[in-house]
Amino acid sequence: MDFFAKIAWIIPLVPLISFLVLMTLGRGFRKAGVWIGSIGALGAFVLSLLVLTERLKPHAVDYSYNFSWISIGEYSLRIGFEITNLTALMLVVVTLVGLLVNIYSAGYMASDERITVFYSYVSLFTFSMLGLVLSDNLLSFYLFWELVGVCSFLLVGFWYARPAARAAAKKAFIVTRIGDAGLLLAILVLFWNMPGHALDFTMIESVFGGQGGVITSGITTLIALLLFLGAVGKSGQFPLHVWLPDAMEGPTPISALIHAATMVAAGVFLIARTFPIFEASPAAMETVAYVGAFTAIFAAVIALAQNDLKRILAYSTISQLGYMMLALGLGAMTGAIFHLFTHAFFKALLFLAAGSVIHAVHTGDIREMGGIGSRMRITAWTFAIGALALAGIPPLSGFWSKDAILTAALTQNPLLFTVGLLTGFCTALYMTRLFVLVFLGKSGSAAAHAKESPRVMTIPLIMLAVFAAVAGFVDLPWSGWLSTWLSDEVITPHASIVVIVLSIAAGVLGIGTGWLLYGRGKTTSRSIANWMPGLVKVAERKFYIDELYEILFVKSLRVVGICLAAIDTYIIGGVVKLTGAAASAAGRLGLRLQNGQVQTYGVAAVLGVVAIALVVIGRRMLS
Amino acid sequence: MSGLEQIPILSIILLSPLLGLVIIQLLPGQRANWLKIAVTTATLLPLALSLWLYADYDRNQGAVSYSETYSWVQAPLKMNVGGDWFFSFQYAVGIDGLSLPLLLLTAIVTAMAALAAVHVKKRRKSFFSWFLLLEFGMIGAFIARDLFVFFVFFEITLVAMYFLIGIWGYYNRERAANQFLIYNGIGSAIMLIAFVMLVNTAGFHVIETTQSLQYIYSGSYSDIIRNLSDPSAYVNLTADSIGSNPFALNETKQWAIFILLLVAFGIKLPVFPFHSWMLKVHQEAPPAVVMIHSGILLKLGAYGLLRFGLFLFPVQAREWASVLAILGLINLLYGAILAFRQQEFKLVLAYSSISHMGIVLIGLAAFNEIGLQGALFQLISHGLISALLFLIVGSLYERTGTTELSRLGGLARSMPFISGVLLAAGLASLGLPGLSGFVGELLSLLGLFESMRWVTALAVVGIVLTAVYILRSVLKITFGPQREGLTAIRDARFVEALPMVVLLAFIILLGCYPSVLTDTVQTSVGGFMDLLLATRAGG
Repeated sequence: MDFFAKIAWIIPLVPLISFLVLMTLGRGFRKAGVWIGSIGALGAFVLSLLVLTERLKPHAVDYSYNFSWISIGEYSLRIGFEITNLTALMLVVVTLVGLLVNIYSAGYMASDERITVFYSYVSLFTFSMLGLVLSDNLLSFYLFWELVGVCSFLLVGFWYARPAARAAAKKAFIVTRIGDAGLLLAILVLFWNMPGHALDFTMIESVFGGQGGVITSGITTLIALLLFLGAVGKSGQFPLHVWLPDAMEGPTPISALIHAATMVAAGVFLIARTFPIFEASPAAMETVAYVGAFTAIFAAVIALAQNDLKRILAYSTISQLGYMMLALGLGAMTGAIFHLFTHAFFKALLFLAAGSVIHAVHTGDIREMGGIGSRMRITAWTFAIGALALAGIPPLSGFWSKDAILTAALTQNPLLFTVGLLTGFCTALYMTRLFVLVFLGKSGSAAAHAKESPRVMTIPLIMLAVFAAVAGFVDLPWSGWLSTWLSDEVITPHASIVVIVLSIAAGVLGIGTGWLLYGRGKTTSRSIANWMPGLVKVAERKFYIDELYEILFVKSLRVVGICLAAIDTYIIGGVVKLTGAAASAAGRLGLRLQNGQVQTYGVAAVLGVVAIALVVIGRRMLS
Repeated sequence: MSGLEQIPILSIILLSPLLGLVIIQLLPGQRANWLKIAVTTATLLPLALSLWLYADYDRNQGAVSYSETYSWVQAPLKMNVGGDWFFSFQYAVGIDGLSLPLLLLTAIVTAMAALAAVHVKKRRKSFFSWFLLLEFGMIGAFIARDLFVFFVFFEITLVAMYFLIGIWGYYNRERAANQFLIYNGIGSAIMLIAFVMLVNTAGFHVIETTQSLQYIYSGSYSDIIRNLSDPSAYVNLTADSIGSNPFALNETKQWAIFILLLVAFGIKLPVFPFHSWMLKVHQEAPPAVVMIHSGILLKLGAYGLLRFGLFLFPVQAREWASVLAILGLINLLYGAILAFRQQEFKLVLAYSSISHMGIVLIGLAAFNEIGLQGALFQLISHGLISALLFLIVGSLYERTGTTELSRLGGLARSMPFISGVLLAAGLASLGLPGLSGFVGELLSLLGLFESMRWVTALAVVGIVLTAVYILRSVLKITFGPQREGLTAIRDARFVEALPMVVLLAFIILLGCYPSVLTDTVQTSVGGFMDLLLATRAGG
């Protein structure tokens, strides 16, 4: 039976209907807006869950359906959906986090006058994200990929009156658009190289996963790298990571949903969907692995030196996405998806808990916080669970998925393994710093009046905390249930005592160091600043990447613009003036002839007749 | 097939704006509401009929439909060789998959512009008269099936535009109108030379009567296409009877005509470096007129390029495909970078038009079905989007008295509806999937990639730049803190909201369901490709 797989196309339509209803209703109906948005999310979640249960039965067969969107001569551009184990899993992750964020926002956004608009954007996003997950080919994938991008843009800029939000929204759109250009080019290359101009994932798998020879290795690497460029933009990998920290200008529930759990993971999902192309190109795999590893450590170091609660979490997201890329580059596709799965829960949890804190203290600066833990117990405890899961402390979920990635790294590339381990250490360190500065110690300037958030916000936190704690058990090192289910092949259990020990050591060491540095009393980042001032300064300024891009792209585009504007005004405009002058000179000549004297006209007429006669006679004589 | 074939439907569509023109002459000029109702009705009639025609059109039959031909004058020609020679002036109209979407676009945009013309305050009666005459000219140009008919209607649009810019424009209106006339006048002169050369050589057909052979010259498209596409039959005929005809179409002359056409329609499109006149028009003409100018008249240039340049001279155009592609790329990048520089929103949109017309050229240069479909799609899509954008400009200017970016900001608070539509139009313009702009871009790039990969790759860079300049200007206007003095303005009135919603609805329709357009165009483009393949095989 694959009844629910066959009707899976309904899933994205449910939030789409919510969106359309909300758009028609307009800004009134504040309560109704919350309900309409949440019911749409709930409907999608229930259907996704049904699809997943269907897939859990043994021997489930993939189901796909597509139709022609544009048909031109012999070519056909198609749109369709497909249910595989991977897409079913993603459906549930997206709709579950989406549902919880919808509920949470009812509290978080309660006082915002545009809450209905907020819910309509979130519904549109859910629709687009589900469409992306369900797509059976790269073209429809790209359509929804752009739509989630625009929803992200709209929500980052939700508080549009703030100049910072406007700048962040613009940056988010444009920087990811650079990646999108790569994805678009990949589609163009694929279209003209694939047999039958096919773009669907099944065909991609059979062409690239087969014996090869249909598409040359050079083209394969090119396609893979272009796809990777798209993933780099969307998933905030170095060097296109700059938009993600700024995107924290959006409302916090959005940071949890879009910029932690779902959309930013779409890059990882893209590579997982087109994995046969990457597997066919060792060069591309290596690129993915190294870019991922570099991003992981790079962002973790920056996170150490930031002072904004949400930005620290944003750099942490970049770093964890780097982990997933590393896993993909090492060929451990299931490991990457496993980490995507657990990360979605604990990072959404961390963001929502952070939102709860910000909601209470009205600032994001951790230096003004402190001692909040005693005032907001549920928030503090759930945040702690999320932080420990992120730091990779067993038996919480993050430990198991990180372990899967590190195991793959150890067997293949000791260098990348070391980087991964170091990142784990940094992760534990910055999370300890964050937790200590926000929740423990003396009460900070902004924390005095903090009190626990309403239940509509804490219940989603508790639920996410449960998932963050137990989600790792689906793929224990010695069972590998998720990997087997995802890849349809029997995976040999990969338990490695060395990795487990080292990974726990890195986590514990990180927490210990953090406790030593920040735990006792009111030490701040100053203490490390004295210890190694250069590095802290550079990390605080985010390695000057934004400044570099400002010079490299924004300024240079401005210079080119000035040059072209000069050409436009002086050279082309000059020619126009010349033509104009010539025309009016001719006109003035004509004007002078029209002096009203019949004699002049007579002379002109005679001259004309003579000229015509001469021409006619001349032609006669010549022919 | 309904009964549309039996009635002269195209002539009815063509003449309905003229009827409106006559009616408003009879109305008193002070009665503004009567005038508006009359004009709107006069533009809604062709809209309704074109929609009907669009639905009725048989997509599988590629040939020209609903044709009407009436001979007007047959002037005898004196020739040295035997037979009777005539030159025939005729009224010939008809539509195929190429002209039908443009006809519908004309009807839609004009009707919406008529609604937008509420902002016109002075000399309404004569404004609406020129306005209807302009529609008459545009419809005529798109449905013409004879070179001279096309030329006459093309000139009518120039005259109407000249007065519309020169009288109802902004501060520098007269200079803008003059520059418009000079450039377009030069363009039409060149076009006329090319047309005359064409008719002289390929524009004839032969009728065998019992007494003698009749050689009839005319500008009929079908004669010209037949003679050009089957050169062997033509050569046989010339060898027999008109061998000494000094006007036989040799290769040099074909190239000459092709290049003349390229320049003539390149000015109209406009192709870099002939674009400066249209900047002035965008800046100085009243918004309702710019809706038509940017929405339809620029498309007339592309239509001419396609209909006369490519379809009549496929061999030459193909040889110059890379030239077209490079010109398109220059338009795309040059327009985008300069749009990024502008401080005046109308000029941003003007350069944006240059940039988007670059995509049309890129699609044409692809020389395959996908690219040609893409070019045509981009024409229709840009017509709708730029009409919508200038509709918004009109509403903005009415409220704020400025379109300078530095003096606008935060309008989303006081006018959320207009700001929302502006954002949607901007997103459509930068090629967001689900809106029409994306399909045109995708098909054009997909088409060109087959033959010119590097140009396509650079064009994709241009698409990133589009996002940069669109977001810069649109967010400047709508987002950010509200500016002093802009807090009290009101959101759209019904009469403004209606055309915005209609245009946006068409943009979404084309973006989500592009087949509604591509299937109509398919047979005509396919027919052209067959023709092209035949000529390639032949020589």
